[in-house]
Amino acid sequence: MTSALTEVRRREAPAEAPSADRRKKPPSLRKARTFYLFVAPWIIGFVALTVFPLGYAFWLSLTDSDGLSPRTHFVGFDNYVEIFKDPLTLSSLGKTGLFALVTVPLSILAGLLLAVMLNQPIKGRGLLRGLIYLPAVVPPVGAALTFRLIFDRDAGAANGVLSGLGANPITWLVDPNVRYVLYALVLWGCGGSMIISLAGLQDIPRELLEAAQVDGASYWQSFTRITVPLLSPVILFQVITGVIGSLQSFAPLLLSSGSLSGAGTVPQGNYLYMIHVFAQYFSASRFGYASAMLWMLFAVILLVTLVIIKVSARTVFYTVEPGGQK
Amino acid sequence: MTRTSKWALSIVLLAVVLVMLSPILWLVSTSLKSPAEMASFPPSWWPSAPRFANYTDAIRQVNFVGATQNSLTIAFISTTLTTLSSAWVGFGFARLTAPGKKQLFVVLLATMMLPGIVTLVPTYLIFAKVHMVNTYWPWVAWGLGGSAFLIFLFRQFFAGIPREMEEAAIIDGCGYVGIFWRIFLPQSWPVIAASVILSFTHAWGDFVGPAMFLSQDSTTLAVAMATGYVNDKGLPMNNLVAAGAVMYVLPVLVLFLFMQRRFVSGFSTSGIK
Repeated sequence: MTSALTEVRRREAPAEAPSADRRKKPPSLRKARTFYLFVAPWIIGFVALTVFPLGYAFWLSLTDSDGLSPRTHFVGFDNYVEIFKDPLTLSSLGKTGLFALVTVPLSILAGLLLAVMLNQPIKGRGLLRGLIYLPAVVPPVGAALTFRLIFDRDAGAANGVLSGLGANPITWLVDPNVRYVLYALVLWGCGGSMIISLAGLQDIPRELLEAAQVDGASYWQSFTRITVPLLSPVILFQVITGVIGSLQSFAPLLLSSGSLSGAGTVPQGNYLYMIHVFAQYFSASRFGYASAMLWMLFAVILLVTLVIIKVSARTVFYTVEPGGQK
Repeated sequence: MTRTSKWALSIVLLAVVLVMLSPILWLVSTSLKSPAEMASFPPSWWPSAPRFANYTDAIRQVNFVGATQNSLTIAFISTTLTTLSSAWVGFGFARLTAPGKKQLFVVLLATMMLPGIVTLVPTYLIFAKVHMVNTYWPWVAWGLGGSAFLIFLFRQFFAGIPREMEEAAIIDGCGYVGIFWRIFLPQSWPVIAASVILSFTHAWGDFVGPAMFLSQDSTTLAVAMATGYVNDKGLPMNNLVAAGAVMYVLPVLVLFLFMQRRFVSGFSTSGIK
C-alpha cells in the first residue's frame, strides 16, 4: 500500500474530519475531480456545439435577422406564428409526414421479413446478409447519384425496362413521379433495419420456440405469439429512429440539384420540411424565420418521440424493466 | 426445414440480392458508356465497347485529387480525435465516480436522440461569426467533443474490465491517466476498430457539413460529386457522374467487404440492447 491510495486518504482527511468512519466515505474529492477531468471534453463540446447553438438559434428565431444587415429587430414570436400561417411550411410538414408514414413501416417490414428469412439455417447466409446490407453502407451522395442515373429519362435503367415491356417512358425525376424515386432510394437501405431485427431475433431464447413446437404450435403461431412480442422493443426503437430520421431528411436535395442553395428548386412532391428550412436559410436568407422552423422541428421530434413511447407502452413487451439493468 | 423449402428460400434470397445489387451494377455499367451510347434510347444494359477514359475524364473534370485530399484530411481529423476523445470520456464514465455522474450519463444518452441537423445550421452561423468557416477547425472541435454513441460503446467495454487491473496499477503508483493510456486503451482495440470505421465512413459520406462549412474549391469529394459534373449548358454528364461516383463509393465498399463480419454482427446493433 503506497503512495497513491494513502495520498488520497491524506488529502481528503481535513474536509471530512467530522465523519466517524473513514472507509465508508462517499467517493473521494480527488476521484471526483479525475472524473470531471475525463468527461470534460464531452461536457465542453456539448455546451459549445449543442446547447449554445440551440440557444443562439432560439435568439435568432425571435428576430428578423437576414444574416447580413447589422441591424436586426426583435419580433417576439412572430416567426412562430408565421409557421402556422405559411402554406408552404404547412404543406412541407404534411409531405414529411406522408414520407415517414410510407417509408418507415415499409423499411421495417422489409427488414423484418429479410431478417426472418436470413435467420434460417441455409448455406451461405453470412454472405447473403452482407450483400443485402451492402446498399446501407453506400454514402448518401453516392446512393442518390445512382438513383438519379437509374431513373434518368433517356439513359436510365427504369425506362429501359419499361420500353422492353412495350410501355412508354416516364419522366421520373420531376413531379409527380419523383416522390416514388425518393421512396425507392430510402427502401434500398432497408438492410440497416434487417441487421437490427436480425440481432433481435438472435436474442430470442431457442427454448421458447422449441417448447411451442413441442406443444404443437404452427410456425405462424409461434411467430405472432412469441417472436413478434419479444421483438417489439427492437421494432419500437426502429420506429422512433425512423421517424426522427424522416423528419430531418434532406435526401431530396441530393436527388435534385445537389447544392444547398438549390433547395428552393426541389420538386414540390419532394419538398420536405428540412428542404424548406435550407431554402429559407440559403436562398431566402430569412435566418430568423428558418431558425424558428428549426426549433419547431426540434419540438415536433420531441413530441412525436414521447407520443410513440406513450402509445406503445401497452403493446411493447420488455423482458426486463425498460429502465432496469439487464 | 425440409430440403425443398431451403432451396426455395435460397432462390428467393438470391433474387433479393440481385435486386439490391442491381443499382450498383447499373452505376458501373453507366460509368463505362461512351457519350454516343448515353444518347441512344432505349439504353443498353452493358456498354458494347467499355470506355475507361471516362474515369480519367471524371478525375480531370472536377478537382478530384484535391477533393480527395480534403476528404481524407477531414476523415483523418475526425476519426483520430473522435476515437481518442470518446475513449477518454467513456473511461471516465466507466471507471470513476463523482456526484452528478448519473445525471450526466442520462444527458449523454439523451443526446443520441437529439436531431443533429437542428444544431448544425446555427453552429455554422456561429463559426461564420468567428471566421472559422472554410477551415478544418470545426472538425477539430467536433472531434474533441467526442460522439455520444462512441462514448457509450467505450463505456460499455471499459465497464466490463475487472477491477483488479486498475487496483494493481494504483498500488504500483499509476494515476488514472496512466491507467487509461497504458492499460485500458490498448485492450479496447475491438471498440477502437469499430470507432475508426464508423467515424471514417461518416466523415467520408457527410454532405451537409462540408457543403455548409467549406467553399467550393476546398470542399470534399461528397460535395464535388453532388454538383461537379455538368457541361457548359448546365446539363449533367451522366457517364462521368457514374465514373466519379464509382471511385467515391469504392473505398467504403472495400472497407465494408473486408470488415463485413464486424459490420453485420457487431456494432451496428450494440447501442440498443
